[in-house]
Amino acid sequence: MPAPPPPQPTREGPHYRLQHTLTGHTKSISAVKFSPDGTLLASCGAENIVKIWSPFTGELVRNLTGHTDGLSDVAWSLDSVYLASASDDKSVRIWEVDTGVTQKTLKGHSKWVFCLNYNHNSSLLVSGGCDGDIRIWDTRKGKCLKTLHAHIDYVTAVHFNRDSSLIVSCSLDGQISLPIQLRLTTIFRQIWNTATGQCLKTIVEGHEAICQHVQFSPNSKYILSTAHDSAIRLWDYQTTRCLKTYVGHTNKKYCICACFSVTGGKWIVAGSEDHKVWIWDLQSREVVQTLEGHTDVVVAVATHPSQNMIASGSIDSDLNIRIWVDDQAERR
Amino acid sequence: MNEFLISPFSAITHPTTVQTSLYAYGSFAKFDPSGRYIGVGRFDGVASIWDLETRAAIRFLDGHVKTVTSLDWSRNSRYVLTSSKDWNVIVWDLAALWDPPQRYATIRCDAPVSSASFHPRNSQIVLALLSTGEVYLIDLRKTYRSRVELVEPDDGDEEGGRRSAMTVARFDPSGKHVFIGTHSGSILVFSTRTKAMVARHRIAGGAGSLKGFDFAKSGRRLVTNSSDRTLRQFIVPQYPHPDPDGSFLETELEPTHRFSDPINKTAWHTMSYSPDGEWLAGGAADPATHKIYIWDISNDGQFASTLDGGREPLAYLHWHPSKSSIASTTKQGNVLIWHSPNPERWGAFAGGFEEVDENVEYEEKEDEFDIEDEEETLKRKMKAEEEEVDIDTVIEETSRPQNLIVSNGDDEDLAWADEDPDEDAAGWTMKIIMDDEEM
Repeated sequence: MPAPPPPQPTREGPHYRLQHTLTGHTKSISAVKFSPDGTLLASCGAENIVKIWSPFTGELVRNLTGHTDGLSDVAWSLDSVYLASASDDKSVRIWEVDTGVTQKTLKGHSKWVFCLNYNHNSSLLVSGGCDGDIRIWDTRKGKCLKTLHAHIDYVTAVHFNRDSSLIVSCSLDGQISLPIQLRLTTIFRQIWNTATGQCLKTIVEGHEAICQHVQFSPNSKYILSTAHDSAIRLWDYQTTRCLKTYVGHTNKKYCICACFSVTGGKWIVAGSEDHKVWIWDLQSREVVQTLEGHTDVVVAVATHPSQNMIASGSIDSDLNIRIWVDDQAERR
Repeated sequence: MNEFLISPFSAITHPTTVQTSLYAYGSFAKFDPSGRYIGVGRFDGVASIWDLETRAAIRFLDGHVKTVTSLDWSRNSRYVLTSSKDWNVIVWDLAALWDPPQRYATIRCDAPVSSASFHPRNSQIVLALLSTGEVYLIDLRKTYRSRVELVEPDDGDEEGGRRSAMTVARFDPSGKHVFIGTHSGSILVFSTRTKAMVARHRIAGGAGSLKGFDFAKSGRRLVTNSSDRTLRQFIVPQYPHPDPDGSFLETELEPTHRFSDPINKTAWHTMSYSPDGEWLAGGAADPATHKIYIWDISNDGQFASTLDGGREPLAYLHWHPSKSSIASTTKQGNVLIWHSPNPERWGAFAGGFEEVDENVEYEEKEDEFDIEDEEETLKRKMKAEEEEVDIDTVIEETSRPQNLIVSNGDDEDLAWADEDPDEDAAGWTMKIIMDDEEM
């Protein structure tokens, strides 16, 4: 047994409180994302509009209109200038946020586009569709560079690692009884001329859990996944070992997103079907705070890149986005 | 990072097949230090920057009116230097938000420029070789602003003091010395800081006019290309501090290895070490084929393989800064990117499965089918999860190998080069400029 690690000074729990309630969506919200420079919040939902908000004042800044069907995900480019949106109209649009103009429309998915993310320098965009395909796009030209027939069912999350050498994806492949499916896929550099990207690893945990959201940790050493057995797991993908399990919330039906919070203490933040936002301590896995206020299932959460701020979005009967802040951390 | 997932023990090997080709219309192509981009010099005076992730040209450096003769990248790829037969050297700043990018500096020379390069530690120091056989060190820093010709001191015994023309000039990887090859086949070594010659080497047995140098990243080994169609590898000697009296080391260098094509006796256009210095690739100057010869340096320089790139003759080659990949340029202007493909592993598609080459007798572990208390299992699992994880400390990977020696202030040469540093900071990213053509 090695010597116990030195006590962490910031072990005190977070004190998030409601700052703003953003009203405007008319249908279920599917995603909220802070811009990398922290000045804007983008949200989307089952109506055909992307909404851009100021997270500090709670005001609606702009509507991005053009999609002809509902939206499932949005992603910001590194410089916070562009926003990509994934829609049920089978297209991905890249918007210039300042002007609200569609710069590119990426067509190619044969079914609804469910998730997307930029790579480290925003030269590539990866999107996952309900046809089980992952597509990789050249953002500058708006052309599809590669299609990976990665899964046989809804791809529910795709994410690049820090140096864009890997993509992690997960899917509702539950019907073929491979419960948690996280796929790591390399792109390009080794395998340009092969028909598909190479699948490097599939991570499966042995019980009846369908994984529905996945992302790399900020340093790309680990993977955080959420699954329908009401558990969030942190994986070491090199050794395929589950390092941490976060439980307490309810997640059996919806695609609920979890994220890392690194601005104050180190927390894991996630929505829940019990209408709350749950916050765990990254290391101890204890629940340190639950945020109550939403009146329906919280599916979307996002953490601010530099401040102690959380945005959460909910569905059906509660169409509000709530902004939560923890300003006590700064006062301490 | 993913190299580890593919095969944890793989070292760099040599590439075997062409992965892709870029229709770049170039005379040579050179990877940037990160290996993400490739710079192509063209006959029409334009240099283009290609993104290897999207396989598309992303910047066009349009400033020369004649053939681009060489291109060099700064340490963190922010600055690009191009030299041309139009007598100019241009330094470009890729951090600019538009295309063509901003010119950071234009250096006008007195003759067509054969090659130019950045000092490895400071892109404001530029080395230029002119087609007239002269070499200049150009310092753009405010405090040192100068242009100094590197001159071989006169020997009394040489008739009329006629010096041999300089045919190749390179910084060593530390930037402390400039290595110059001459038409008569000698290697001259100058101190970058004092601009004084510190050594003159004759190659044992003679080699003819020198055509090219390449250093292994450590700077301890040097390979030369010369007109006698042989590549020679030397161990670089340690040089004393420059002597104020102007005296210098005069020795004969004995090559550790000689590489040549014993059958066809082809000449070589270029050669390039692998990132770890364990392999050497030579580009054959064959007028009808595209052949790359690979030698295994770690195995006493044994010939390892020939890569055949088809009909278009080879003009240039460059090894990737960190991977088993080579970019070779054809006479027709296409750039071939070579790689060493990994076989698809189907076991990767199913979690918990492993592929084996041969049947393995399964041995049951002692406790494999023991019935364990569920509570006990859970407790053990909880215990295992106590371990601290670090989610946000970034350990910079080898994707941008920094083999620069850290200057600790003792070394005069390094401290001198680090003075008045350029703005080539690590971690900047090239902005994406949206292509407006089609919507």
